[in-house]
Amino acid sequence: MNLAALTNDQHDALQELTNIAMGQAGASLATLLDEFVDLSVPRIRIVAVIDLPPVLAELVGKNNLVSAARQSFQGYLRGEAIIIFGEPGCQALADLMGFEGELGEHGETELLLDVANVLSGACLGGMMEQIRKFTETTGSTELGFSMPSIMARQVMAAQLIDPGKVRWSHALLLEVNFTIQNRNFIAHLTMLMPEDGIEKIRGIIDEFIAAF
Amino acid sequence: MSLPILVVDDSAMARKMLIKSLPPDWDVDISQAANGIEAIAAYRAGKAAVMFLDLTMPDMDGFQVLEALRQEELNSMVIVVSADIQTVAQERVMSLGAIAFVKKPVSADVLNAVLKQYGVI
Repeated sequence: MNLAALTNDQHDALQELTNIAMGQAGASLATLLDEFVDLSVPRIRIVAVIDLPPVLAELVGKNNLVSAARQSFQGYLRGEAIIIFGEPGCQALADLMGFEGELGEHGETELLLDVANVLSGACLGGMMEQIRKFTETTGSTELGFSMPSIMARQVMAAQLIDPGKVRWSHALLLEVNFTIQNRNFIAHLTMLMPEDGIEKIRGIIDEFIAAF
Repeated sequence: MSLPILVVDDSAMARKMLIKSLPPDWDVDISQAANGIEAIAAYRAGKAAVMFLDLTMPDMDGFQVLEALRQEELNSMVIVVSADIQTVAQERVMSLGAIAFVKKPVSADVLNAVLKQYGVI
């Protein structure tokens, strides 16, 4: 079950790939929110799904409530993307979208789904785009995404994902730092995949590194 | 004498990608910096006639580097290289004295055109 950790070079390359992808996501979100959005990926890690609840609790804060949206993807890679927002993030986004006071369930749903769609699409799609551009990878690297749906509202971070009910073994975890209108908050993008998906990503990172 | 140029990015991969995109026959002496503080030090040491500057970096980011350079005499042609492709970021760096904004991933053709436009090559 234990995957080898990313080497420093692999980690650095993956970080750069995701930062490029997030630049595009930021531009899409800026259009959506009509505000300057700065997105960066300060931390990336790969964890076994079994270790996910404590890791998420540590990242988000043990007693903090989160809301999350999920979206499955298939094609070159298959798995499930989960985007997790803490309370401050939800509220900051709501303010920007011009919701007065209480966001309400409908507003929050709309917001989470829009942002989830942009982030997971940009992250995985953007990564694939770089791969096609810079490596000799042949064959289709296309990815298809399902419509996003709400996974949970206001639950404790450690309770969000039950490893016993997840069909994937590993997760690529990206911390996404948002800066919008001088406000700063963090979302967590969790890409659940089978082990061979992680190895595939490792393979394309190596190819990417070799191209330079 | 080779032209001293400085490549500033916290990612070693990104620095490699940029260096690989420079015109192959350009006679340069390449230095690298992983953050703004190193960049300013290299600039003061005369290693940055041309500077390729990333925006998002820990410690001291690209915007802060541009501001610091403005306090000194800005004897460097700064080309910002960033994944942040929003027009606000572009306007901001240009107003801070950068001569050009090139988006990541860097294309050799775009870089070549910018360097030609400013008579650097």
